[in-house]
Amino acid sequence: MKILAPIREIDELEMLHAAGAEELFCGFVPQDWLDRYQGAVWLNRRSTKGSSLETLSDMRALTDAAHTKGLPVFVTFNAPYYTAEQTELVMDLAQRLSEECGVDAFIVSDVNLMLRLSEARLHAGTHVSSVAATLNLEAIRFLLNFGPNRVILPRSVTLAEIASIKKGVGSDCEIEVFMLNDGCAFEEGFCATTHHHSVGAFCTSLSGMQTDFEWHGRYFSVRRRAWLRRNLEDYREWVWYLNGNGCGSTAKGLPYGPCGLCAVPDLLKTGVDSLKIVGREASPLKKLASVKMVADIVHRARHGVPKPVVIERAISLRQAPEHCHSGYMCYYKVDA
Amino acid sequence: MEVTLQVGCAAEANASLAESLEWERSAKLRPLLDGLAPLFEGLEVRRTSYGAEFCEHLLPAPEALRAVRAACTRPFTFLTPYVGDAGLAKLRALLPELRPGDEVIFSDWGVLNVLHREFPHLVPVQGRLLNKSLRDPRVMGLYAEAGPGPTLTVLQGSNLDNRAYTAMLRRFGVQRAEIDGLPQGNDLATASMELTACLPYGFISTARVCQAAGLGYRKTEKFQPAALCKQECQTFLLEHAYTNSPFENRDQKFWLKGNSYFYLHTPAMVKALVRSAREGALARLHLQTRLPMLANGVAA
Repeated sequence: MKILAPIREIDELEMLHAAGAEELFCGFVPQDWLDRYQGAVWLNRRSTKGSSLETLSDMRALTDAAHTKGLPVFVTFNAPYYTAEQTELVMDLAQRLSEECGVDAFIVSDVNLMLRLSEARLHAGTHVSSVAATLNLEAIRFLLNFGPNRVILPRSVTLAEIASIKKGVGSDCEIEVFMLNDGCAFEEGFCATTHHHSVGAFCTSLSGMQTDFEWHGRYFSVRRRAWLRRNLEDYREWVWYLNGNGCGSTAKGLPYGPCGLCAVPDLLKTGVDSLKIVGREASPLKKLASVKMVADIVHRARHGVPKPVVIERAISLRQAPEHCHSGYMCYYKVDA
Repeated sequence: MEVTLQVGCAAEANASLAESLEWERSAKLRPLLDGLAPLFEGLEVRRTSYGAEFCEHLLPAPEALRAVRAACTRPFTFLTPYVGDAGLAKLRALLPELRPGDEVIFSDWGVLNVLHREFPHLVPVQGRLLNKSLRDPRVMGLYAEAGPGPTLTVLQGSNLDNRAYTAMLRRFGVQRAEIDGLPQGNDLATASMELTACLPYGFISTARVCQAAGLGYRKTEKFQPAALCKQECQTFLLEHAYTNSPFENRDQKFWLKGNSYFYLHTPAMVKALVRSAREGALARLHLQTRLPMLANGVAA
């Protein structure tokens, strides 16, 4: 079970490797794309500036340096879809990133792009992005038609479902799951909204909107109205947790955000292949702190530390037990 | 042009469009629907749809599906949602209730795989959840107002623009796809497949974590993926007004029903879709005169 870390530039490599990263993923957005597409049309689900590498030479330098440390590098082409024109641009980029830069795999959501990559027979493999919304074993079997090496399960797949899927898929492909940082209130692959800075994420934007309930039962009592209103407030609190506790951090500067640390012993047992730390766009400090936390827990689980002890350690690492005990900061519901 | 009407029970199986326009009981939605109703004049329903696109907990019980299928004298389309393995097992038990030639709208690649392998006598249709395009009603209309360019071209298109993709779908028996009317407008010329437009509601987002289902749980247990529920979604509608918009659309409304958010097509969007259907750019219209989150006689 590997630790997959986000990276933005080669300067972050040394620290991430030293902290325990075992695989890396990044975005790549060349100037040509920026010149052609603006606004809501993102190449890889991150704002076009500041989240990705931008030149092939930078990409080659990163992959060369990572490979010398034994770390593979994956590149995100994970937009929900690319039009016919965009697909040709992305295929050209994929060809160059694979054959000239030695990128190890592309993280892909669009089934059309998976299909095209499988036909192109590049050296780089394909990882099915969580945005492809692969929620069941049959969906993986369908996508295996396009030769992926790995499937990244969406955040909403439960521990029991992960175990069942991993058992069913066997050695046909690897399974990656979410471990730390960003959440998503909706099923990411079925969310047709933009995170463009002008409007922000739809899920967090909803919390600031005026709302009105309409009851479809017999009598809309004051008590029922309060019940609905309280549930809405709970939901908004849950969304706040998904959004990194309002993008907050602990007194020592450690980042908040959705977390699967307590589930590591279970995930190790099920044979999951990789644990994803989200946040290509995050600061180097947040990336470093995230990798350190995950590596600490994975190390203990690998060495057979009992699950309750691992969970206790995970909660202490997050430095905010009240948030852990809220139940809203967890990717997975863990039986202690 | 063919028109499909979504129904919620056997008694509605052969309803007319005029009858269906009386079904909406929401005091918030009914006046809006009434305002659009004149735009549907002259449309004749020739196909019935039934099922659930957005939630596996709204899949009907086998006996409910059997009753609707038996009562329906029109060609039949069964709507299916995205599913976990448990939902897929429930769905697998329903598919034998359908008749050869019935359509199945799939919203999940696993469902297509099962249809292709185990139910080749059924006709798979790609659902709108798999028609990838941005639909964000908060902002997409602004791109249309900004005028033509590469960005708008991308936003008005979808994954169906790719011929390699539609050829792959055809290899799996898929000849048709459902779409939403987009706030930024649809470029129907680029899609290389027969299209059905759903109206008057477009989906914004949907989730395995259901806000409504949270009503049945203690606070710390709320908002778990695919949590069992008591169909709390059927008891209320939550309307959001976009009062925090940075633009001028602060009176825009979105509706949450259960686990899914929807927008209502504007009269101009409905007119454009009906016109496209009359001119042949759309093969079908799929009318859902209630938010497509019906109880359906839910499976246990």
